[in-house]
Amino acid sequence: MLSPLPSASRAPPRAPYSYRDEVCRARPLLGTVVEIRAASSNAQPSLHAVVDAAFAAIERVQRLMSYHVPDSDLSVINRTAAGTEQRVDAATYAVIESALRIAALSEGAFDPCVGERLERWGYLPASAATADARREFAGRWQDVELLGQCRVRFSRPLLLDLGGIAKGYAVDRAVQTLQAAGVEEICVNAGGDLRVAGARARTIRLRHPLAPDLSAATLTLQDSALATSAAYYSRRRLPFGEVSALLDPRSSRPYVDGGCVSVRAADCMSADALTKVVLFAAPQLAERTLAACGAQAFVQSPAVDPARPEAAGVTAGASPRSGTQNARQIIANSARGNAAPGILNR
Amino acid sequence: MIPGSRIVVLPLAAITLCQPAQAMSYLSVEQAQQLMFGSRPLTPLPLALNATEIGAIERDSGVKVYAGSLRAWKADDGYFFTDAVIGKHDLINYAVALSADGKVRQVEILEYREAYGGEVRNAGWRAQFVGRHHGDPLQIGQDIQNISGATLSCQHVTDGIRRLLSTYAIAIAKR
Repeated sequence: MLSPLPSASRAPPRAPYSYRDEVCRARPLLGTVVEIRAASSNAQPSLHAVVDAAFAAIERVQRLMSYHVPDSDLSVINRTAAGTEQRVDAATYAVIESALRIAALSEGAFDPCVGERLERWGYLPASAATADARREFAGRWQDVELLGQCRVRFSRPLLLDLGGIAKGYAVDRAVQTLQAAGVEEICVNAGGDLRVAGARARTIRLRHPLAPDLSAATLTLQDSALATSAAYYSRRRLPFGEVSALLDPRSSRPYVDGGCVSVRAADCMSADALTKVVLFAAPQLAERTLAACGAQAFVQSPAVDPARPEAAGVTAGASPRSGTQNARQIIANSARGNAAPGILNR
Repeated sequence: MIPGSRIVVLPLAAITLCQPAQAMSYLSVEQAQQLMFGSRPLTPLPLALNATEIGAIERDSGVKVYAGSLRAWKADDGYFFTDAVIGKHDLINYAVALSADGKVRQVEILEYREAYGGEVRNAGWRAQFVGRHHGDPLQIGQDIQNISGATLSCQHVTDGIRRLLSTYAIAIAKR
């Protein structure tokens, strides 16, 4: 039986929050629209200036870790770190370190070494390196060596893509920038990967996986982060089949089904990476990884009655009987009984 | 569900309780001008593009030009623009500040409206969800401002800014 959601069961009380300044602004960054809401009575020199600094922190992460920027740290090591150690910015090093930790915990269900495959599907720009057809980039997360003092080396050629984790990190840096300036109430939302800080509990709507312009469930967040992964915006058809920006790093299969996974964690970087773990790892492994990160996952799946998940072929995540079934299969099984097949698998 | 499980299957809430497309107003044109240029005076800059210029802008940027979407102002140390782009899922109005030598200094979204067409608007399709309830009622009008979901691309804003820079180079810097 499904227990009530730990913190989503009650709408937050309306409190007479009052601050001298409130700012809500948005910029096109990280390939999406990034929105910053901030409220404060003592931001110096002004709340707008602090929000500018928070956007600048996000821009810095983009400059360092974007696959699309040819001279980013990431692009440089993708070209040069195979067999040769390279120094990167401390921020880049920290994100690679976190990516590898979650890759190890999830036994590769999350793996940042998916650049070449996402290039081939058209989700990343073709890098100069892959233009040379003789080169292969078969390296995986185990081939990324962290040598301390911000030095990185690849033991095999590989193309690192931090797209599944750096957006969350950028959100975290923006939140930290605002907190350091004394801003009391904060919400940074990078196109769906978001983090809130402050005394106010915020209700977050999750997009309906079959009708993403509508919201389905709501969750309440306070001083925590939420990230969501789903294929509804990125699915497209290629001559050899359907793909999405979500790729199972071990099988190289795309996630193209109609469900979606949200993860709540203390920080947005972990939440961002963990959505992929829940999509692609077997439930017990996903449970362990979530536990190690202090996180919780919420699966929205068409036509699953949460009171009787087994009716749709879903056994709750931790059930021993479902040891080999991952969220992808849970969602796929449940979709078969859906009343609106035309919307699915498109 | 086994106690302690960290993976929760959520029901799909009744679509009747769902809020449709979101619209956000971040800044007015005046607020964006104030943010980007402070109290320095801005003079409207008429942009009557002729067919030759439109053709050149479209070739240079690879983006179609729509008459009247772009508005420009001149300051003593730069330019202020407002423009709009329509994507597959959304309509975005934005403001751009250029320095006097035509480099992007700041971009701010003014308004963001989501739209989604087709089958999801179909009443019959929606009706199947009527009556399904979730124990966490959505109270419209309460402090619900944020949405989590798969990331929406802002590629068309990037395209729009490229078109704006082409317009600056072809129709403003040369004049």
